[in-house]
Amino acid sequence: MEYLISKFNYWVYVALMMIGLYAMISKNNLVKKVIGMSIFQTAIIVFYVSTGAKKGATIPIIAHGHGEAAEAVIEASQYVNPLPHVLMLTAIVVSVATLGVALAIILGIHRKYGTLEEDEIMEKVRQP
Amino acid sequence: MIWQLDLFILGMIVVCALASIMVKDLMSAAIIFGAYSFLMCLLWTEMGSVDVAFTEAPVGAGVGTVFFIAAVFRTSRHVSRRSEGRLGMKFLGLLGAFMTGLLLMTGVHDFPGWADPNSPASQHVSTYYITKTIEDTSVPNIVTSVLADYRGFDTMFETAVIFTAGIAVTLILRRLGGGGGSHSVSGPAYTTTAGYPDTIIRFISRQLVPFMQLYALYVVAHGHHSPGGGFQGGVILGASFILLGISYDLKTTLNRISERANIALGNLGVLIYAGIGVVCLLLGANFLDYSALSKLLPGATEITARSHGMLGIEIGVAIAVMAIMVSIYVNLASHGKHDEGL
Repeated sequence: MEYLISKFNYWVYVALMMIGLYAMISKNNLVKKVIGMSIFQTAIIVFYVSTGAKKGATIPIIAHGHGEAAEAVIEASQYVNPLPHVLMLTAIVVSVATLGVALAIILGIHRKYGTLEEDEIMEKVRQP
Repeated sequence: MIWQLDLFILGMIVVCALASIMVKDLMSAAIIFGAYSFLMCLLWTEMGSVDVAFTEAPVGAGVGTVFFIAAVFRTSRHVSRRSEGRLGMKFLGLLGAFMTGLLLMTGVHDFPGWADPNSPASQHVSTYYITKTIEDTSVPNIVTSVLADYRGFDTMFETAVIFTAGIAVTLILRRLGGGGGSHSVSGPAYTTTAGYPDTIIRFISRQLVPFMQLYALYVVAHGHHSPGGGFQGGVILGASFILLGISYDLKTTLNRISERANIALGNLGVLIYAGIGVVCLLLGANFLDYSALSKLLPGATEITARSHGMLGIEIGVAIAVMAIMVSIYVNLASHGKHDEGL
């Protein structure tokens, strides 16, 4: 049980990654592929944030930063590791911007071929 | 760090992920994916990463879902049944995914346990950030100080990536004059009430917008002391314009913030960020070393100047993110024609 709890986050990240990868490879619809890509991205974020978690620690904002306790010694074990949070915070915003680009390309494809199904697009590409 | 909650949310997340790729209706898939993002947001909060949760809430569950809905609305809603028979490809995909998963599973055994205080990731540079942030920068929110100061280069180029994405969307979709493409598909994919004036929705959105914008400004300005900052505030600010565009129509949004203004603001945001870096350079310090700004700011010591410098670049980030989110939405929702929207 102890082992299960301590590794559960990593198993779920692998499972999410598999779901995303499967959707990207096997799904015929382009929007489904993009959803798969987003699931893949969030799997990576789950992994990073999980490595930053710490037992018995609080959120990474220094308590009483400017109060009378400001002189108190800050122990690293009191606060969650902030570094993965920083990396993932920007990754989330960038992922929504790239999602916008992906959806724009999908709209462009739909404008040209009138469908979002991969096999139908391939048929139209082969015989113009 | 409550492991029961962790297990429960992660289970729900996997269910949502499976549901959103299995369901045949793309609009449902988009909505389920929004729920998935919201569960993610709960998970981040549970693991103590409040800033990531705050970003995920407006970005993943809010604007991301709106982008999906706009794209589905402009194309087709249903997945064709005809292509269900490609078993070979499905099997190959499943095999590939399983092999990759198996490989990663074998690696999981060697990871340090979840929430282990002695894991290597929590040992080296992160202890420096936690213990020195008040001393170096006088900013209590460690995530902000790492984001905007210690790793300012990273964030500058992330902002540049967002700006580039906005330009790319405009380049791909924008059509001047609304001339039809070769396959100009007949209108939206299904019957809608687009343009139908729903008084209740319009009234509530109209009342909500100023408060959203005020809150966004608070989030930007207060990012040093509480979760939040330029990215979150910028997305909320953009979401307020997107809400206007959804509840009224695109014209209303574009009257408030025109396409030209959008692009200019996107530029301006990145320019503010890089400009502060250059000002530091001109004052004789390194690029983005805000302590040099104490020479310009009256009453600021070298330490508080770093805090003020961070506020400056957060404002730049917020402006850029807001403009790009609005610009992407406007282009997606109107297929690049900027006429009616959803």
